[in-house]
Amino acid sequence: MPADPPNSVDAEHEYPPELSRLPPGRHGLPREFVVHNQRERLIAGLAEAIAENGYASTTIAHITRHAAVSRRTFYEHFNSKDECFVAAYDTVMTELSERIENAFQQESDWPQAVRAGLAAMLEFLAAEPNLARLCMVESLVAGPVVVERYDAAIQGLVPYLEAGREGRSEEVLSRLSSTTEQALVGGMVSLISRRIIAGQAAELEELLPDLVEFALTPYIGSDEASKVARA
Amino acid sequence: MGNGKSRTEDSMGFDHTKHLNQWRWGTLAFVADRPTTMRPPPGRQQLSREFIARHQRARIIAALAEETVSRGYRAVTVADIVSRAGIARNTFYENFTSKEDCFLAAQDYAVEEALRRVVEAASAVESWPDRVDAGLAAFLGYVAEEPALARTCIVEALSAGPDSLARYEQSLQAFGPLFRIGRKVSPHGEELPATLEETVIGGIFWVIYQRIIQGDTERIEELRPDLVEFALTPYIGADAAKRALAE
Repeated sequence: MPADPPNSVDAEHEYPPELSRLPPGRHGLPREFVVHNQRERLIAGLAEAIAENGYASTTIAHITRHAAVSRRTFYEHFNSKDECFVAAYDTVMTELSERIENAFQQESDWPQAVRAGLAAMLEFLAAEPNLARLCMVESLVAGPVVVERYDAAIQGLVPYLEAGREGRSEEVLSRLSSTTEQALVGGMVSLISRRIIAGQAAELEELLPDLVEFALTPYIGSDEASKVARA
Repeated sequence: MGNGKSRTEDSMGFDHTKHLNQWRWGTLAFVADRPTTMRPPPGRQQLSREFIARHQRARIIAALAEETVSRGYRAVTVADIVSRAGIARNTFYENFTSKEDCFLAAQDYAVEEALRRVVEAASAVESWPDRVDAGLAAFLGYVAEEPALARTCIVEALSAGPDSLARYEQSLQAFGPLFRIGRKVSPHGEELPATLEETVIGGIFWVIYQRIIQGDTERIEELRPDLVEFALTPYIGADAAKRALAE
């Protein structure tokens, strides 16, 4: 991803700069910035167009209309709708991963870190239903390249749970299998996706206690896990 | 299958035959009109017209699955399916309105057959941990037996479009009652998270999904102990799960 141009970052803005919009019209900004920002606008336009039409029915005309750029500009940045989607997907996932990572690292106690990471994930997805749909649902219908990235992103969550093995007794470790983390992560993502498909992205944060208890139980037992979850 | 044979409640106060039948037909009303078997009943040599019709449908579904595995769902055409199944194009359209319709039917067909096998296996044993074990063994056995259909319904279904994805996520939950019985034997009972069955089932399918995309369907049955333990642990605790597996 290109570096953020210094004057494009709005400190109060919740979204990553790639997803913010530049007001249309003449703005007298340097050419390099405008070029970069056109790309951002196309990505934001794609997210809006997909939210409106679904990936399969979205056309390049939809995207350029939402982005308020010309068709020619689209083709200066991307060769196809799929390519634009990959760029959008990567942008959203980078942002989501960073939020999870930051939240996780801020807690020194592992169960609390898992809780914080999950809370950050749910908060982002609930606040951005369009982006939630883009990365958790539409990504699967957008072709093999994105599906591969989606799989990799989900598998990327495994190490956060694997960290919970550290310092556990032999007895606990002997009960965990090589697929424990994969199953836990897959189960959580499946539940989140089901809610997004059902149009309930805005209520995702209500799932936090259930997900925390589910994720922690194999490591610290259900009583302790329930305490952390319901705290 | 609903054979009407009534059993008494078991040691956990649970009439599983009754329950499993209710679950099967209650949850799966949307597939109730689908073929339940591809084989004629034993002892009947003459094939009925109904059987031939079912068989034809099953054959088209099998052809769709094979084509999907070799080309990827997006690239498959009705012509490919027709040619692989060795039938007339008209015959395809007598059974299905489109490739998409055929794909959704394949999903329904596979889910119903998987459920039938899981219910049958789970009903044959008594304790809940044994039922989960038997049910998962039956499910993994089915995946190993029908790798093309499994790949179509577990991997390709996710990327075949919004209808198919929604159908996939919905159909997974047909397995919910088998796990929900665990609340009756759990020391935590209804205090367990309300979403537990959804996450347990989602987790099991994700692990199976990963194996399939790695092309590792032949050894899929090796996942059985890991998945059984994963499913039992939140309900009865890791120790009891380990013990149940050891027996």
